[in-house]
Amino acid sequence: MADETALRAWMLQGLGGDEAAHRAFLTESAALLRTFFRNRLRGRPEDAEDLVQETLVALHTKRDSYDPAYPITAWLYAIARYRLIDHLRRAKHRAHAPLDDYEIANERPDYEAAEARLDMMALLNRLPDKQRTAITMVKLEERSVSETAASTGLSESDVKVSIHRGLKTLMRLLGQEDRS
Amino acid sequence: MKTDRLIDMLAKGVEPAQKPAWKRRFALTIAAGLCVAIAMIVIGAGVRTDIGAALAPVLMKAGFAAAAAAIVLPLTLQLMRPGRPLGGRILAIGAFVALAALIAFVALMGADPAERMRLLMGGSFPWCIIFIPLLATPTAAGLLWLMRAFAPTRLTMTGAAIGAFSGGVGAMAYALYCPVDSVAFVTIWYVLAIAVCAALGAIIGARLLRW
Repeated sequence: MADETALRAWMLQGLGGDEAAHRAFLTESAALLRTFFRNRLRGRPEDAEDLVQETLVALHTKRDSYDPAYPITAWLYAIARYRLIDHLRRAKHRAHAPLDDYEIANERPDYEAAEARLDMMALLNRLPDKQRTAITMVKLEERSVSETAASTGLSESDVKVSIHRGLKTLMRLLGQEDRS
Repeated sequence: MKTDRLIDMLAKGVEPAQKPAWKRRFALTIAAGLCVAIAMIVIGAGVRTDIGAALAPVLMKAGFAAAAAAIVLPLTLQLMRPGRPLGGRILAIGAFVALAALIAFVALMGADPAERMRLLMGGSFPWCIIFIPLLATPTAAGLLWLMRAFAPTRLTMTGAAIGAFSGGVGAMAYALYCPVDSVAFVTIWYVLAIAVCAALGAIIGARLLRW
């Protein structure tokens, strides 16, 4: 079970470009987020898993907004709470989820993922061509950036920028997804 | 998609994060907002004709407006990133408003009772309540745009802070035109006009700042 110190260390290494640390950070965050959302969306584990995924994309694309002068968990839960409120506003199920502050320290991370309802692949298809190709090739087909650049005729930095923009677009699309 | 797969996708080939050069962009946005507001007042309403003789009160009013903006700035900056405590930053704004009210009270009590109404109302409709929000719009628009690169999670409060800060900047420009030099008028009506900006900012921010 990760604590503030470990999570923070992974985040800072991830910010420096350490892939393994970033993966550890996201995995641990996912477990914390799962507990957070499940406690607030009781009886709707698919909704909770949707929110876990949506928030993970938010944590990733907005990771430069973390201010190391403050706790990483405060940053993480502020974003989680924001995504939850946004979700509830969209779903108009406000009454089901109390938004009171509560003790994060008592929560046990939940590593058991449910199947999310939202189809990330379908959303990916709605991205502009360049962004979709870049994300699919580098992130899903695990090809290198230079390989992708060579086969698409884009420059390497163009590929990187497209991935970054694509993930941001993805996050926006996730936020717009209408869920009843 | 399984969450594990998503994590793989996000982590794969992650690059070092770029540190946004926000300080410079922030300063440029504010400077541009102030310049546009000054241009608006110079072209639209005209600088007051007695500017030479009235330089002291003009500077006093612009200084008061700048102080109001400065007192809101720390809160605005703190709200740019998620999960940072606001602490005394809201308290400071409350103290500023209380101080302004106290100054107005003292100024009015020290004046001839027959004069008090004129000193408080400025002798006509307090136009600043309309003008200052108008002059705040260039700064507010720039800051709302700039916020897109950040991650505010308390949208209503962020919008209010941007509105109030921009109101202070707008009031600095308005001081070039404002024909009323009464201390009570300035401390009461400028603060009210900035409060209007904060309210508008809260409403607009809650919509526009979503990410």
